[in-house]
Amino acid sequence: MASEKNHIDRITLFVVLILMVASTVVVYSASSTWAMQKMQSSSGLVNKHITKILAGLVVMFFAINMDYKRYKPLTKWVLMVSILLLFATRVLGGEVKGAARWLSVGGFSLQPSEIAKFALLFHLAYLLSNKREKLADFKTGFMPLMIWIGLVVLLVMVQPNFSTGSMIFALGMILVFVGGARIKHVMISLAGLVPALLVYMVSAPYRMKRILSYVGFGSDETVTSTANYQLLQGIIGFGNGGIFGVGMGQSKQRDLFLPESYGDFIFSIVGEEYGLIGTIIFIGLFLTILLRGLKIAKYAPDDFGKYLAIGITSTIVLYAIANALVTLGLMPTTGVPMPFVSYGGTAIIFSSFAVGVLLNISSQTDLHPRERQFIEQPTLKVEPAVGKIY
Amino acid sequence: MRNPFRKKEETVKETPQQKDYKYRLLIVKFCFLFAFFAASARLVQIQLFESGKYQSIAKGQYEARVPLVAARGNIYDRNGNVLVANSEFVSFAADPKIAGDDAKLIAKEFSAVTGKPEKEYTSKLQSAKRFVWMERHLRPDAAELIPLKKMGGVVKMNEAMRLYHYDEIAGQVIGATNIENVGVSGIEQQFNDVLRGRDGYVIMQKDGMGRKRPSVDYPREEAVNGHSIQLTIDLQYQSIADEELKKGIARTQADAGLVVMIRPQTGEILAMSNYPQVNLNRVQNADALKNRIVSDMYEPGSVFKIVTASAALENEVVTLDKKIYAENGKYTIEYPGKKFRLINDAHPLRDVTFLESMAFSSNIVMAKVSDLIGQEKLYKKARDFGFGMATGIELPAEINGQLKKTSEWSLASLNSIAYGYEVGVTPLQIVSAYSAIANDGMLMKPYIVQRENDENGQEIYTGQPQMIRRVIPKHVNEQVKQMLEAVVEFGTGVSVKTPGVRIAGKTGTSRKHVNGKYEEGSYNASFIGFFPVEKPEIVILVMIEKPKAGGYYGATASAPIFKAIADRIINNNGLLAKTMIAEQSVQNVDQQKDATVSIPDVANNGIDNAIALLNRSGLAAKVIGAGEEVVRQYPPAGTKVERGSLVQLMMNETALNIAAGSLQVPDVRGMSVRRAVNKLAAEQYGVTIVGSGIVANQFPNPGTSMKQGAKVTIICEPKAVVTAQLY
Repeated sequence: MASEKNHIDRITLFVVLILMVASTVVVYSASSTWAMQKMQSSSGLVNKHITKILAGLVVMFFAINMDYKRYKPLTKWVLMVSILLLFATRVLGGEVKGAARWLSVGGFSLQPSEIAKFALLFHLAYLLSNKREKLADFKTGFMPLMIWIGLVVLLVMVQPNFSTGSMIFALGMILVFVGGARIKHVMISLAGLVPALLVYMVSAPYRMKRILSYVGFGSDETVTSTANYQLLQGIIGFGNGGIFGVGMGQSKQRDLFLPESYGDFIFSIVGEEYGLIGTIIFIGLFLTILLRGLKIAKYAPDDFGKYLAIGITSTIVLYAIANALVTLGLMPTTGVPMPFVSYGGTAIIFSSFAVGVLLNISSQTDLHPRERQFIEQPTLKVEPAVGKIY
Repeated sequence: MRNPFRKKEETVKETPQQKDYKYRLLIVKFCFLFAFFAASARLVQIQLFESGKYQSIAKGQYEARVPLVAARGNIYDRNGNVLVANSEFVSFAADPKIAGDDAKLIAKEFSAVTGKPEKEYTSKLQSAKRFVWMERHLRPDAAELIPLKKMGGVVKMNEAMRLYHYDEIAGQVIGATNIENVGVSGIEQQFNDVLRGRDGYVIMQKDGMGRKRPSVDYPREEAVNGHSIQLTIDLQYQSIADEELKKGIARTQADAGLVVMIRPQTGEILAMSNYPQVNLNRVQNADALKNRIVSDMYEPGSVFKIVTASAALENEVVTLDKKIYAENGKYTIEYPGKKFRLINDAHPLRDVTFLESMAFSSNIVMAKVSDLIGQEKLYKKARDFGFGMATGIELPAEINGQLKKTSEWSLASLNSIAYGYEVGVTPLQIVSAYSAIANDGMLMKPYIVQRENDENGQEIYTGQPQMIRRVIPKHVNEQVKQMLEAVVEFGTGVSVKTPGVRIAGKTGTSRKHVNGKYEEGSYNASFIGFFPVEKPEIVILVMIEKPKAGGYYGATASAPIFKAIADRIINNNGLLAKTMIAEQSVQNVDQQKDATVSIPDVANNGIDNAIALLNRSGLAAKVIGAGEEVVRQYPPAGTKVERGSLVQLMMNETALNIAAGSLQVPDVRGMSVRRAVNKLAAEQYGVTIVGSGIVANQFPNPGTSMKQGAKVTIICEPKAVVTAQLY
């Protein structure tokens, strides 16, 4: 398949590789103090992270060379297995901070919600490519899709993992919307989420507090939740970075002011160490993924590839932008990692696989002859700057 | 963000479905682009426009300006004994906003160490402030017990606190510091600026755990330690003064009292003692910090007669042997306008010489003589002696006293002032005036600071004797000295007469002003004297306020204290003792030859007398038990022992108790209350508990013999906590 390699979208690959390399640097800086304290080695956590990235690269390489069309017959079965895994997690999974989200298989902890997300994505792409004409019909077209989405989202939410559940729901709705569902149906589905949201808010006090404090009710004095503290410290981190940042490895916030700075709040460390320049570059990298991903979708050889490309691109970009908005205080605090950047275990491997599939799709498009023109796109100007920083 | 290929696409014919898809994808794309735009805008807001604000918040979080506290200068006595030094204590402060979450746990831990109720700490942690003191000045060992690691938002800091080595010795002179280590009285206040030094600071970086590390790039200013002050106070004399005053107060059941010692040739203050005493390490009563020797005035009474005598002799209106009729103790003066004034003498006299009138303290004679002197001359003499003006000693809150100008005098003022009424003087002014007489009529400025050394030990100030003025010509001064010696030889002060040492002095008794009126039965009893008369080395003033037992006269209340102090000084090794012993040795050649002495029989003597007898033979006394009278001594009388040996004196009350089958009180100090009670109960003593925690003191003292069933009072303090000072 040597000839196909020439066809993959090198820009997307390059951007993802930059994110991976950058993440090792930032995770190391963000986790060293914590790791020193808990693991007696400042590189303890980043080593784990690098292992995951290397595994991700292997998986990505595999996916690039695997014709995406061969997933078609598998999607339904994989989705069903992943739903079973979600059940199993509910029963067997370990509790992490009050939520059963992890399943340990042979000492390797899996996040079934992550598997389910991608399985759902693949299956939705398959269904949309097959039954697109019927989608306008509520009973035969829309409902079956919504049943899959609803099942996965429900199971993830009862883990309880409200944030991942709603992210999966949003992804599903994006695909269904792009796939041609009636606007009316989409609206009804979104409206159906409102009571679920209310039930969720009331069911756990910490959520209520977070949301209330986000909306502006309850001052700092009354709602002194960890979430708020984290958020404030995150924003202080951004602000402290200013335009140019405090410099590589110079973050002060990571020294335990900002709990789990290597995880969901890693963007704040980026902002502190590399300043506005660094954060805008990171935003630009994800923007590039968005634009390239949609371009790949546009030129995908078939509908399955098209919807798959849209789904994969949306996942990565949605997580990235949601993470940025949360750390910047523009969205209620939820645990959403920044793809490829946050320290987050197996998520990196799944994301790498997804990008690999996206690149495989790109290799089967007619993009190749036009590639030179893309390089001149204005958005890509950011890349040389990236090279300077790292 | 326009798609460059869009135009080319449009050339291709599209189905409606494809068109719909394209628009939908475009909507999704724009939603994403909007989110990207929102995030970027927010980043620009935070990182560009508001970055200054967050940087300062961050700086506050990362950097701490840690003061480098300058060590407060020590205070020494004239011989270099450390009176005041510093010790390290540990204080805890908290940020309630952070620590408030664990308030209960934190309060519990503090309470366990200090013994204070948890509520006290929880209420502190509920404060809206960002900084509260949890506990200040814990001893380092106690501070170790507080598990700081478990407490978010609590910080520990070392604070230096004054350590007064001798508790209440010279308390009012040294003065106290408040909890901020600022001097609030005495030398601590007067020299606060030089003692405290200059604090430096260092900027530290701290992390989320509150750990600090110094940063080399940040500014740093080293602390400059305070200067040390060496006083003219002699710790030995001061201790004698404090002890004897305390004893004297107990004997006379007086309200208060004071003792001042000064070296007449130089004006150096050797001791200043105020009663009630104040323990500087544990100031209970801020009023007791007042040094009444410089801050209070009183009507001196007869001790003021030296002014009248000096003026009379200098102006040659009388001579020492001039006979004057003393009216047999009652003298009514008629002033113009049919106003009368009755003057009484405590010792009714008829025809006396001027010298005898001083010896027996005749107010009548002084009043008569004052008429011969006249207002201006008497006023001028009082002024010359330094009355009505602060001496300028290096102590805070010194007052001028009150000496009215002659224009403000009433008809009776001249006669009243002649024997020490209608003037307000400070005890220091009186001492200063007498030291002028002891110093051949030359008034010296009293001073108390011998030396000030800077932080490197370099001497930057030395106290020098300062002559103020000649108050009286030398030959007149000799006559005044003669009069004062007569007081001790055969007059009112005869009780202080000491074989081998010529002492001059004067008694004084004045009625005490209470709320502007003379209070019935309320007197100030003073005795002031100096010795040896031929070359005075020391002037001592003893003043007792409102004595209630054993007579209110200066002769009965204050003279015995003077005597006790003088005896101890004469027999001690201080600066005076050398001359004394040299003179004594001439008198007792045989005793000086061999080092052994024969113990005198002191049984059935009063305690003071017994000690004096032993001291005179060059022996020290150890008093065992309570009581006023010595019933037994060991070794027995007549035993030959080495000079300086200890003779044990068994007191009368002890002996009674032993006869009644009493035991010695065990030492329970340092024990917990429970152990102490058990131990005392085992010995069949009752217990009165004051306070809680650990036994700090007990009364009676350990080893005291006491009947079984009697009560022992134990004074307890919270475990390992230094009681905070009042301020």
